[in-house]
Amino acid sequence: MEAFRQIGWLIHKDLALQFRTKDMLALIIVFSVLVVLIFCFAFGPIFPEKLEERGKLAASVLWATFLFAGIITLNRSFDIERVNGALHALRLTGVDASYFYLSKVVSIFVFLILLEIVVTPIALQFLDVLTVLPVALQEQLPWLLLKLIGVLAIGTLGFCAVGVIISGISTNTHGKESLLSVILLPLTFPVIMAGAKCTVSLLITGGLGGNFWISVLVVYSLVFLASSYLLFEFVVEG
Amino acid sequence: MLLQASQITKRFGHRMVLNGINLNLQSGEAVTIFGPNGAGKTTLIQILSTLIKPTSGTLKIEGADALAETLRVRPSLGLVVHEPLAYLEFSPYENLKFFGRFYRLDGLDQRIADLLDEVQLTPYAHEPVKIFSRGMIQRFMIAKALIHDPTVLLFDEPFSGLDLAARQFVLKRIDQERARGKGIILTTHNTELGYHTGSRFHFLLNGQIEAVAEKEDIGLEALSREYENRLKQ
Repeated sequence: MEAFRQIGWLIHKDLALQFRTKDMLALIIVFSVLVVLIFCFAFGPIFPEKLEERGKLAASVLWATFLFAGIITLNRSFDIERVNGALHALRLTGVDASYFYLSKVVSIFVFLILLEIVVTPIALQFLDVLTVLPVALQEQLPWLLLKLIGVLAIGTLGFCAVGVIISGISTNTHGKESLLSVILLPLTFPVIMAGAKCTVSLLITGGLGGNFWISVLVVYSLVFLASSYLLFEFVVEG
Repeated sequence: MLLQASQITKRFGHRMVLNGINLNLQSGEAVTIFGPNGAGKTTLIQILSTLIKPTSGTLKIEGADALAETLRVRPSLGLVVHEPLAYLEFSPYENLKFFGRFYRLDGLDQRIADLLDEVQLTPYAHEPVKIFSRGMIQRFMIAKALIHDPTVLLFDEPFSGLDLAARQFVLKRIDQERARGKGIILTTHNTELGYHTGSRFHFLLNGQIEAVAEKEDIGLEALSREYENRLKQ
């Protein structure tokens, strides 16, 4: 029970810091919309006619956008801990490093999910995906968007699970932003690939096209969550 | 014995920063460690506060092995360093409340109010720390270090960047805590302030520490002369 309380305090602190100034939220939303727009200008104004190709384009844009936004969020979140020695102060309280890990995963996950809820409909509109959906799917658009957010959520959890531990490793190194990207991108490859496959399938058929890719997404997320939870103490304490 | 460091060494790559440090601290004692920039004072404080691990040696805090039972001994420590060790977007109240909760303190709100009053920050209790002057941050740091009433207080260059009034405040506060039976270790390169604060003096030079004298055995002038001579060697 004490563990849950402490994790709760840490999450509350993270979210309070993230949303207090609102500059980070505004910055990330603007950044994400700009990335979407860049892709729109690069591939538009006339997008591929086939729904399958347009679905692939939309999935690529969405996952690339959220990957970049996620890396910025991770950097920012660990900067707050590193600058002014807040992480040292936290360690001195005797709090378990694994609680710190879980709280970071949850708070960054919440932040990114909010971003995805805002940006996904905008991206689908700009990429002109919604107009070419089969009528049956258009009639179930809210349900389709919900399923899409569900897939994005599982992928985001996997991204956060691995991203937080890599941020913890890179945060005290020189060139930490570059190092984070260089280590994190290859590690998140399975998430991006599986997430993109599920997204394409959802946009074309409204279903996941079998269980394989969603299973990859779920298993990856759980494996990294569990292993990072156990290893994070060594990252923080050295 | 509140703190007992034996044969502490620390290497960063090939560079030996600390070499065979032995240091003891008793209740009600204030140990001042003098050393020039780069002598390893900050590294020593970081090791004593369990934030970094020594390459070799042992560290006991209140009899417990601080390197093996790190999480257990940390609540016995209070730390004041150059950094605020806080979230600058938060107010002093929010910071003290956030960090204080982890120590499972009873009457935390009252404790925060009392501490903010003692460090004269009550009028700024709900202002973000980022707008504070250096002196105000140092007073806030002292409140934060004391929130859980630790038995060992570690100060790393607590007077740097402070004006006269702020220095007087820190000096007085350290004296008060020592009188309450806390053990204090303080590093500085300022012999005058270090002399006023300490009850026992050490020099940290070339990664090695040597005991100089108890306060009753040495005056400020003799200490300053001795320190200058050692720096020249």
